[in-house]
Amino acid sequence: MTNITTEKLKTRFPDAVLGVESFKGETTVTLKADSLLETARFLRDDPDLQYNLLLDVYGMDRHRLGLSPRFAAQYELFSIPKNRRIRLNVPIAGPQAGNGALPKIDSVTGVWPTANWLERETYDLMGIEFAGHPWLHRIMMPRNWVGHPLRKDYPLGGEPVNFSFDKDNPRFAHLGKQIMAGPSFHSELAEEMDEEGHLIINMGPQHPATHGVLRLAVELDGERVVKIQPELGYLHSGFEKIGENRRYEQFIPYCDRLDYLAPMSNNLGYVMTVERLLDVDVPQQAQYARILLVELQRIASHLVWLGTHAMDVSGTIHALLMYAFNWREKILDIFEMVCGARMTTSYFCVGGLRWPLPGAFQDAVRHFLTGFYPDGINEFEGMITNNPIWKSRLQEVGYLSAEQAIALGVTGPMLRGSGLAFDLRKAQPYSGYDRFDFDVPTSDRGDSYGRYLVRMEEMRQSVRIVEQVLNKLKPGGPHKTSDRKVVLPPREEISTSMEALIHHFKLVTEGFKPPKGQVYGLIENPKGILGFGVVSDGSAVPHRLRMRWPSFVNLQATDTMARGGLLSDIVTIIGSIDIVLGEVDR
Amino acid sequence: MELEPTAAMPKITPAPHEKDGAPGFVMTNLSELVGWGRKYSLHPLLFGLACCAIEQITAGMSRFDIARFGAEVFRASPRQADLIIISGRVSNKMAPVIKRLHEQMLEPKWVIAMGDCASCGGPFNNYAIIQGVDKIIPVDVYVPGCPPRPEALFYALTRLQDKVQKFGLGVRQG
Repeated sequence: MTNITTEKLKTRFPDAVLGVESFKGETTVTLKADSLLETARFLRDDPDLQYNLLLDVYGMDRHRLGLSPRFAAQYELFSIPKNRRIRLNVPIAGPQAGNGALPKIDSVTGVWPTANWLERETYDLMGIEFAGHPWLHRIMMPRNWVGHPLRKDYPLGGEPVNFSFDKDNPRFAHLGKQIMAGPSFHSELAEEMDEEGHLIINMGPQHPATHGVLRLAVELDGERVVKIQPELGYLHSGFEKIGENRRYEQFIPYCDRLDYLAPMSNNLGYVMTVERLLDVDVPQQAQYARILLVELQRIASHLVWLGTHAMDVSGTIHALLMYAFNWREKILDIFEMVCGARMTTSYFCVGGLRWPLPGAFQDAVRHFLTGFYPDGINEFEGMITNNPIWKSRLQEVGYLSAEQAIALGVTGPMLRGSGLAFDLRKAQPYSGYDRFDFDVPTSDRGDSYGRYLVRMEEMRQSVRIVEQVLNKLKPGGPHKTSDRKVVLPPREEISTSMEALIHHFKLVTEGFKPPKGQVYGLIENPKGILGFGVVSDGSAVPHRLRMRWPSFVNLQATDTMARGGLLSDIVTIIGSIDIVLGEVDR
Repeated sequence: MELEPTAAMPKITPAPHEKDGAPGFVMTNLSELVGWGRKYSLHPLLFGLACCAIEQITAGMSRFDIARFGAEVFRASPRQADLIIISGRVSNKMAPVIKRLHEQMLEPKWVIAMGDCASCGGPFNNYAIIQGVDKIIPVDVYVPGCPPRPEALFYALTRLQDKVQKFGLGVRQG
């Protein structure tokens, strides 16, 4: 099959394209580093290509893969008008590690502004320098940190775990007495911030309206916002490094702890990516169950957004937070019934579901739906949609046009709130979404109120999907694939079949080993597009595990949205982005 | 002062064992009285870190209702709080901030390490996470779980209340 993108690139830049590789339906174009910028502009502006959305920028340390040069930068591009994807792989020839200098490549912030934070993250964690970047500083780690944690010669770190604790052993005498001094430091401010003429205030990391440990340096002229500079990394937990030191299936529980308001969705994104790498077929009924649970999760996630947003905007709507959490509790009860955990579910495994759905599952979901739809949602809308306080706090606040949104890489309800009907469940259906009927709600308003309307309608659409899935879901039948190379054999088979015993032994001691290659899976999370990039070197541990989290990219739009507005509108804007710090900081 | 009964205010003669507004008395000592007062009026800091923070919010919602234990008034300023619930993983970057928040709280103050990450690092044994918040600030009660259910937090709260009661008037060191 000919690929128009690679054909056009090859004819236009015959010298720049070093190679084209296709793996599991994904195309990787290897480019020369010095022609990156003109190729990027061409890919964005050519009317036949229009790669207007830069999904991800990440670095690769190919030290152990035996490739030279050691570092490469990877760019995941998406063309919304043409519904196409491509990956650029740009090896960076440069100074080898050890002599202090970093490998250097041109920054693409001039082509896609969303690259700003993504490149900062790559610089921070992988140690690749981007020439022409507006403000290349560390973003996750403290600024006095030494080294770049995602490099392969950087150890995972941590402490040895003592499984026995003997009080009398002098080895443990220090425990409980190791109180460190706690120096504090100011935010690092960009040069353009005017510290003399304007007031600079600090918001966070402990602040009731930042939804976690976000820190903002706000430059104020009177009460008008001149510039906002978010400072991240207060919850940085090294997920990517952990993923590169765990077996594929061992990372599933970690996904729950990233966007902890949508663990089911995270699981699905990761599990589907690994399944594509392994070429595993998931049984139909398991796919349906996945969709159902993920849509319930979308409702639960939007309910938390609604409750906290309403409380931030006007403290008097505190009751709404209570109502929203009440409905969320009912969804969590269903999750608990399915997998035994309320929040950290880990219910999906590679190849299907970890256990079959319990017998009372469908009735429980029906019971929830009859209460929630339409009465539950209507109750929320009745309280706030036409509420004058709600409207005056949200309308015309935090405006973002569709062009700005795409340039900043914003996805999910925020992009749809700016009037663009782009939803991966429609554009590139996965897990069987194309068999169900639902609409993609949009709003042309582009402000916080528009995003509110979109999310409320999304909850209705999720209910619609759940109802349709319920009618197709049949109890019984396989809940995971029968591929014994991937999932454990059933218990009774082990005592009768030698082969099953061997499979069991291999899977438990070694884990499955996917073929060499690179995949990048995308799904539509409640907050936007979630991407998992997996590079396999043929072993049971991923060589590189990259995650694109929607909150991180969406948060970049704060500055654009808040400029010129009032200080108090920052709270509205942060609420309407719907961030979860677990996935912002990773 | 004895008021003269008038037509508008008839003299009420309370039956024995009924409340008449007259001061009764209990036998106690000051230390226990102060401890009793403190333990039912804990003011936690409005502060969340990660997944456990969501369960901490849930604990305050109507289904679980932390108000039953007298600790529902979450204060946004550390100057007004006497309990900090460390609800999540503590990163190297966050550690000085938590230390500072704890120093800003008024004495006597208490700390609950909620969840595995705050207690011992949990599953995040790596370069970024401090293996237990007790390396920065003294912890009174540890809550296991990832994340612990709201009921587990309530159990920790009642254990802490026992501790507060015993603490009495004492001056806390460190």
